[in-house]
Amino acid sequence: MAFTFKGGVHPREWKLTERSPIAKLPASAHLEVPLQQHIGAPAAALVQKGEGVKLGQVIADNANALCCPVHAPVSGTITGITTRMDASGRMIEYIGIDNDFADTLSETVLPHTRPILETSAEEIIARIRAAGISGMGGAGFPAYAKLSSAIESGVDKLIVNACECEPYLTADHRLLLEHPDAVVGGIQILMRALDLADATIAIEDNKRDAAILLRSVIQNDLIRVHLLQTKYPQGDERQIVFAVTGRQIPAGKLPKDAGCVIFNAATCAAIYDAFVTGLPLVSRIVTVSGDCVKKPSNVRVPIGTAFKDVIEFCGGYSAEPDKLIAGGPMMGVCQWDDNAVVTKTTSGILALSKVPHREADVCVHCGKCALACPMYLEPLYLAAYARIGQYERCKDFDVFSCVECGSCAHVCPGGVPLVQYIRTAKVKLKELAAAKK
Amino acid sequence: MSLFRVSSSPHLYREDTTRVLMLDVLIALIPALIWAIYQFGWRVLTVCALSMASAVLFEYLFNKLAHKKNTIGDCSALVTGLLFAFSLPASAGFAIVVLGTFFAIVVVKGLFGGLGKNIVNPALAARVFVFISFPAELTRYTDPGLRLGFFESLSADAVSSATPLAVLKNGTMPSESALNLLFGSLPGSLGEVSALLLLAGGLYLAIRRVIDIRIPLSVLATVAVFSYFLPVKGLDNVQFMLAELLSGGLMLGAIFMATDYVTSPATKLGRVIYGIGIGLITMFIRYFGGYPEGVSFAILIMNLFVYYLDRYTKAKPFGQKGAPKHAA
Repeated sequence: MAFTFKGGVHPREWKLTERSPIAKLPASAHLEVPLQQHIGAPAAALVQKGEGVKLGQVIADNANALCCPVHAPVSGTITGITTRMDASGRMIEYIGIDNDFADTLSETVLPHTRPILETSAEEIIARIRAAGISGMGGAGFPAYAKLSSAIESGVDKLIVNACECEPYLTADHRLLLEHPDAVVGGIQILMRALDLADATIAIEDNKRDAAILLRSVIQNDLIRVHLLQTKYPQGDERQIVFAVTGRQIPAGKLPKDAGCVIFNAATCAAIYDAFVTGLPLVSRIVTVSGDCVKKPSNVRVPIGTAFKDVIEFCGGYSAEPDKLIAGGPMMGVCQWDDNAVVTKTTSGILALSKVPHREADVCVHCGKCALACPMYLEPLYLAAYARIGQYERCKDFDVFSCVECGSCAHVCPGGVPLVQYIRTAKVKLKELAAAKK
Repeated sequence: MSLFRVSSSPHLYREDTTRVLMLDVLIALIPALIWAIYQFGWRVLTVCALSMASAVLFEYLFNKLAHKKNTIGDCSALVTGLLFAFSLPASAGFAIVVLGTFFAIVVVKGLFGGLGKNIVNPALAARVFVFISFPAELTRYTDPGLRLGFFESLSADAVSSATPLAVLKNGTMPSESALNLLFGSLPGSLGEVSALLLLAGGLYLAIRRVIDIRIPLSVLATVAVFSYFLPVKGLDNVQFMLAELLSGGLMLGAIFMATDYVTSPATKLGRVIYGIGIGLITMFIRYFGGYPEGVSFAILIMNLFVYYLDRYTKAKPFGQKGAPKHAA
């Protein structure tokens, strides 16, 4: 029996790119590297206009805060630092780099040469930070900070998230099939740092091929491959901890409060690379898919590459898309144009055509949202109260437990934009709380 | 290049819209409709068509007059119209049909804000409204087999038959066997007679996940338990239980009326309590009330509790103390 959680939905999988090997995108002539790709403080630029940079060189950092350094994904010349608004409405600085196509490697890119068992946790944390690795699943929490707080709170369970429960996305699946050794190697480094004898790889049962391959690569029973039922949002940290351990992360708390630490499979592979080749996180695997892309593919893309260059590489648009999404279709963020760039958290680029007309925004009180909610909430009432501005009532219905997975809006027959209402309520309640202070 | 659409996630939706769900309900009602035509004649079709057409027309006109968006596309008025017609005898006067749909669509639904906002089930409220207003005309049930033509009305001297529930009310067993009750060879409202075909429709809706089986099951189970253990004096309890379950509006009510999304709870536990409540009130009215049938009143009464059932059966959120610990 496959393990899972309660609630959730079964969207059509649309894994169009399951069988397409990871292609390598040649770096574009110009890249725009954002300085905020992670949760925490933005990195501050360490380079100036006109300066030459080498591949892997640190170009921005902030040592005094929760922050991941940012590295040059190519060698070339800095063209300047610009500030642009990203799709979430935040103003973010971008460092522009003109590629000289020489790929001159920075002298700082050096592999770790000592056996991992003779390396201390502090050294591991330092190298992960130096490599600029943040969680690659979506939220982008700096990996070094997650690791050190997990060590501090003495977690007893390392879970590697290979669920990839979002429809369309296959980047992690392809990574597991093509580089299982890198993922496993990364896990071993994390186990060493956490001083844990075992780890669990959680993977949905629609990726049995990857699970079988992983088991053959691991060849011991310390790293277990745990098959979970294919269901959205299986990859959410609360659901994955529950499915693997039966523990519930307390409301508003982190996995470490349930004794767990979770790393994405791609993050593990990036950690492995940082030790074996010394290369920091300067590229990532992106699934380019959707019905408006000519050749849906999995592509390894240098960080800072514009979406339009990636889509061009995949044959261009087959039709004018209605939406261009960074991430998966359930939690991804809409981009208003294709000048948006690939960041450390961009797991997918989806170009989707217009969905057929839905009767918009009429709740018939069918309760399908409540049955789908993995957090056991009643989204229909959250939306109803948010609609009329009674945000305080949303609090009675536990609005802050919502993880915004989108299961409710996905199943809603009335086309109610439930997540949007809930986000509005959260923002308004935070504003109210701030005003009271 | 033009800009792309920006909206809140998710960007992927299930295809079953309200309209699809409503059409599924109509499909589920078709077998019982065909049976009713066979039993009571073509007039059944006229009554149903008139009821559905007038319901849609009233919805259209109301939206027009109230300057609201036209909502007939969601097909909910069709469902209301058909369910209302199902609760009438085949001989019901056409004026009563139109008056009933006016009450359902305009008074019960429209004035409360339209689909999703009404507090009680429109079809049921209309049924109760016309039954109380025109008791004589609407309780002249004819024997099955007395088939009326498209526009034929019941002759003044036609013999009306007692429904099984009316017989039960008098403390005797109805003449129909349980099998007849199941298949629907009995006098009664046109859409309520065939328990079997209504059950088939319910099964279709349950498989299509349109309705939550908790509601009809808890209603029927409550009625079954209650009537088995407390039969009317002198009657065999199994016979009595079957007669109570299979006659009157119970099947139509439990499967199609009580499961109306708008007027039933959204939580699992709430739905079970709601169903038990309907079952209990139904039996209470059947035993002690002035009417032989109590399902309509029972559902209408429980409709009023829906918000509180939702509110107080709400699960603790995942991760809070007291949250359900389900082994998946």
